[in-house]
Amino acid sequence: MITNFDKLCGELEKQELEAPNGVASPTTYSQLLAIYLYQNDLCNAKFLWKRIPQNVTSSNPEIAAVWAIGQMLWKKDLPGTYQALAAYDWTEPVANIIRALEEKVRERAFNLIGRSYSSISLDTVVAMTGLSRDAVLHLCRDRKWTLNEDNITIQPTPPTQPAPLHTSSEDQLFKLTEFVSFLEN
Amino acid sequence: MFEMNTAEPMQVDVPLEDNENNETECYVVENPTLDLETYAASYTGFAKLYRLMFVADHCPPLRLEALKMAISHVMTTYNVSLYQTLHKKLAEAVASAGLPDVAVQMGSQDIPVLDTMWVESKTKKAAIKLEKLDTDLKNYKTNSIKESIRRGHDDLGDHYLDCGDLTSALKCYSRARDYCTSGKHIIMMCLNVVKVSVYLQNWAHVLNYVSKAEGTPDFNEVPGKDTNQSILTRLKCAAGLAELATKKYKSAAKHFLAASIDHCDYSELLSSNNVAVYGGLCALATFDRSELQKQVIVSSSFKLFLELEPQLRDIIFKFYESKYASCLRLLDEIRDNLLLDMYLAPHLNSLYMQIRNRALIQYFSPYLSADMRLMAAAFNRTVNALEDELMQLILDGQIQARIDSHNKILYAKDVDQRSTTFERSLSMGKEYQRRTSMLILRAAMLKNQIHVKNTGRDTGPQIGEAPGSSTSLTPRTFDTVPL
Amino acid sequence: MASPLEQFVNNVRTMSASGSFRELCDIIGKSDEVLQRNSAHLNTVLETLDIQQHSLGVLAVLVAKFSLPQGTNDIDKSTMFQQIHDFINNCNGEQVRFSPDLYANLCHLLTDHLVEIKQPIRGIEILKKAIRKIQLFDSQLTSIHADLCQLCLLSKCMKPSLEFLDTDVTGIGSELGGNNDSKHFLLYYYYGGMIYTAMKNYDRALYFFEVVVTVPAMVVSHIMLEAYKKYILVSYILHGKILPMPKYVSQVVCRFLKPLSVAYHELATSQHAAIKHRETFVRDKNMGLVNQVLGSMYKKNIQRLTKTFLTLSLSDVASRVQLSGPAQAESYILNMIEEGEIYAMINQKDGMVVFLDSPEKYASPETLCVLEQQMAACTKLHQYIQEMDEQIQVNPQYVKKSVGSHDEDIPATSQNSKTTYSM
Repeated sequence: MITNFDKLCGELEKQELEAPNGVASPTTYSQLLAIYLYQNDLCNAKFLWKRIPQNVTSSNPEIAAVWAIGQMLWKKDLPGTYQALAAYDWTEPVANIIRALEEKVRERAFNLIGRSYSSISLDTVVAMTGLSRDAVLHLCRDRKWTLNEDNITIQPTPPTQPAPLHTSSEDQLFKLTEFVSFLEN
Repeated sequence: MFEMNTAEPMQVDVPLEDNENNETECYVVENPTLDLETYAASYTGFAKLYRLMFVADHCPPLRLEALKMAISHVMTTYNVSLYQTLHKKLAEAVASAGLPDVAVQMGSQDIPVLDTMWVESKTKKAAIKLEKLDTDLKNYKTNSIKESIRRGHDDLGDHYLDCGDLTSALKCYSRARDYCTSGKHIIMMCLNVVKVSVYLQNWAHVLNYVSKAEGTPDFNEVPGKDTNQSILTRLKCAAGLAELATKKYKSAAKHFLAASIDHCDYSELLSSNNVAVYGGLCALATFDRSELQKQVIVSSSFKLFLELEPQLRDIIFKFYESKYASCLRLLDEIRDNLLLDMYLAPHLNSLYMQIRNRALIQYFSPYLSADMRLMAAAFNRTVNALEDELMQLILDGQIQARIDSHNKILYAKDVDQRSTTFERSLSMGKEYQRRTSMLILRAAMLKNQIHVKNTGRDTGPQIGEAPGSSTSLTPRTFDTVPL
Repeated sequence: MASPLEQFVNNVRTMSASGSFRELCDIIGKSDEVLQRNSAHLNTVLETLDIQQHSLGVLAVLVAKFSLPQGTNDIDKSTMFQQIHDFINNCNGEQVRFSPDLYANLCHLLTDHLVEIKQPIRGIEILKKAIRKIQLFDSQLTSIHADLCQLCLLSKCMKPSLEFLDTDVTGIGSELGGNNDSKHFLLYYYYGGMIYTAMKNYDRALYFFEVVVTVPAMVVSHIMLEAYKKYILVSYILHGKILPMPKYVSQVVCRFLKPLSVAYHELATSQHAAIKHRETFVRDKNMGLVNQVLGSMYKKNIQRLTKTFLTLSLSDVASRVQLSGPAQAESYILNMIEEGEIYAMINQKDGMVVFLDSPEKYASPETLCVLEQQMAACTKLHQYIQEMDEQIQVNPQYVKKSVGSHDEDIPATSQNSKTTYSM
């Protein structure tokens, strides 16, 4: 299973550019489109969709299905996104990317809820994550989000920041020296 | 990206703009407490006429009386055309008042009728006088006696002024300039020009000649300390008026505050009461607390002016004592009368607004948090109206605070100096990079002589050709919704 | 084979062998007519020359071959792409740098051809290679840059152009300036601005459009006008107002552009303009951007609210920025939080929103990292400026001028004039 989508992305882009007569294979298009969505690079996804020749899209419904997700993401319609994700029976190798995309979208949704809400209704969380009530309640417990006594309001907590990146003190000293020498001259 | 309903916001804009215009242009004062007799008695010349006419235009209850007084005054001058205009206004006022017959009959006795005989004889007399003054001036010129020529010009100017021909008066007074032989003469000339320029509302001219007078070498050596003081006060008053008219309220306040009450004799332009009101309001609107204390409240000279306007004195003291509710109430009480003042009226709204804002700022300054309900009570406002006012002040950066609309509390914003410094230096760095790379690019452009020039057939497309004619790529849209 | 053509081939061979490329360039400059006249034999000529050894000669023949007027039957354009592709891949960079004009011309021809046959995407890779080959350094602008951007825009495949656009230009290829027109320069920055706008990198887009508008000008180009319109729109989106132009904008530009873009200026004062001038915007193909401007105005208003309020009910937010209701307000706020445009917490239970200050405390290692990067960038720019300064200090003309005014009689247009920073 491929997990390094950035590398694959570069390869696919190259395939498209080097395609004879400028038209690449349908799987190239569908994978690249899905990867752009995975990278949340909606601008490039939109233009890719626009440049795929019409006869390719019409004979390959999977490409259109991928873009259906993109459209929902563009409109920031999360419930619609989950619907579009589930609406097609994905084939490999696209299915692999779509699975990762769904995870990513859900993860982003949880982070966004944590950052933006001090209280939120269970229904909204269900809509924004595309999960069942039980699954949501379970995940909320994992995240230590508390459910109010009324059983409908959740109090999320902001996501924790990733651990700070470590820089060596030698490196810092080097940069400092460089900076001071710049100021001195 | 989002579906916009563009029609909605615009519908709100239109009526707003219209309202604003109407309000400043024409308004009507219904219940003044002004004693017109006393008011008019403080002025002479054009000041009296203009002010009465302003009252007549804006205050229906006083319209007839004001016009009558103006007419009786204008009959002491040669100003025939104004006499006729006033009569026309009077006739309109009588007609539009729609007085019942009885009242007309009663009133008709003291409503003056147009005296055509007077008009004729005055016109004739004015012409004769003008001719005489003209010949006099010509004689002086042939004899080339400087002093007489100067006086001749001045006399001619006086006469034009008396006839109501302001532009010619201004010309004559200005011409006298070439025949001034002493600093005193120059100052007299300046005062004449300043006076007529005020009548003409040519404020740049007023300030120009005030500074000319003040810059006259022996301005400070003019004999007689009292005359000197009196001239200085006149100049300060005129400059104050000009600054007020051009919305420079702070410097207007400073000019008026420099006037001296013992030498305030400028009935051709304004009264001591005017100085008190103009100076007081402008100071209140623009001075901070310590300036107000030092330059107004403990000022021995301005205190005397304020004695003339006890209400305003109370307002200033209430403001200083932070009793804003009563201060603002008193301000509202004198509002109607102030709206009848021709120089103050156009600025009253913005002055009141500034005073209010200053009060709001001062009210909040000692607090970390303030209950907006209490604050609203102190300012005679609803909480919501106060919220809007505060919002504007915060956006203008006049109050460092944030509104808790939920609990209706205003919180002082604690500014994190460290963070703002970081923020500012980072954006400064960005700006430096942007500008420097632009500079480097520009240097490269100049070095390679890149510029848009007209070199005939093979150039880039120029204005006049079809857009994008030389390029197969037409500008494309960036649609917001992908389809 | 006609004798002048033979002569040409011989010259190419001998001069390439002896390394006298400058002289060869002169010959090539004069052989234009010969090559055009013998269009039927050009393929034969190509067979006798070697791309690597006789790069300049091959270049001249290729340009001559493909710039023949339309309808010349001798030329088969079907091989054009392949031939130019091979040439760019295999030619000798050192050699072709003697004639950047011709080299760029070949690329323009390829671009025009691909545009014509509606396969712009095929040219992207080859032009990228072409640019890298002719460039003396990464930040040098060539006239091929504009072609690349044009192909990227037309094929809607923008990403490949970004590596070039992201590099700030510090030098300009000679084929762009001098007596040539500024079309390709203007186009590069105009297309670049459009690409950045499409990628929603408005900051950069504004920079590019600003460059177009500030190019020294004696007449106003249409490209400048279109760039100015987009400059206004992007400026609204970014800053909510039109940023003032730098002082060095040419006078003609100031005089002509404003009256020609009244509709755009009106957009600032009232939103009616969007409807009133709809036709203009649609004709200019800027309606999409205009809609984004309108959308950004709501955002700007919400940002103003965050500066004044600590808490506000969602329905108050809606009424203060004229949105349809609390639900729409909530979705706007949520999107803005996601984009990092505001910091806020929504309380769905009470229908309130709490506006927060930026959580950035500038105390993390990331901050240090950002600071270091920024400082390094500034330092680099500063050093570059110093280098430029030193170059000017040692420029003979500059020295002459600054030493004294004795030499003023010497005509200003000496050969050196190209290397000074004067116009």
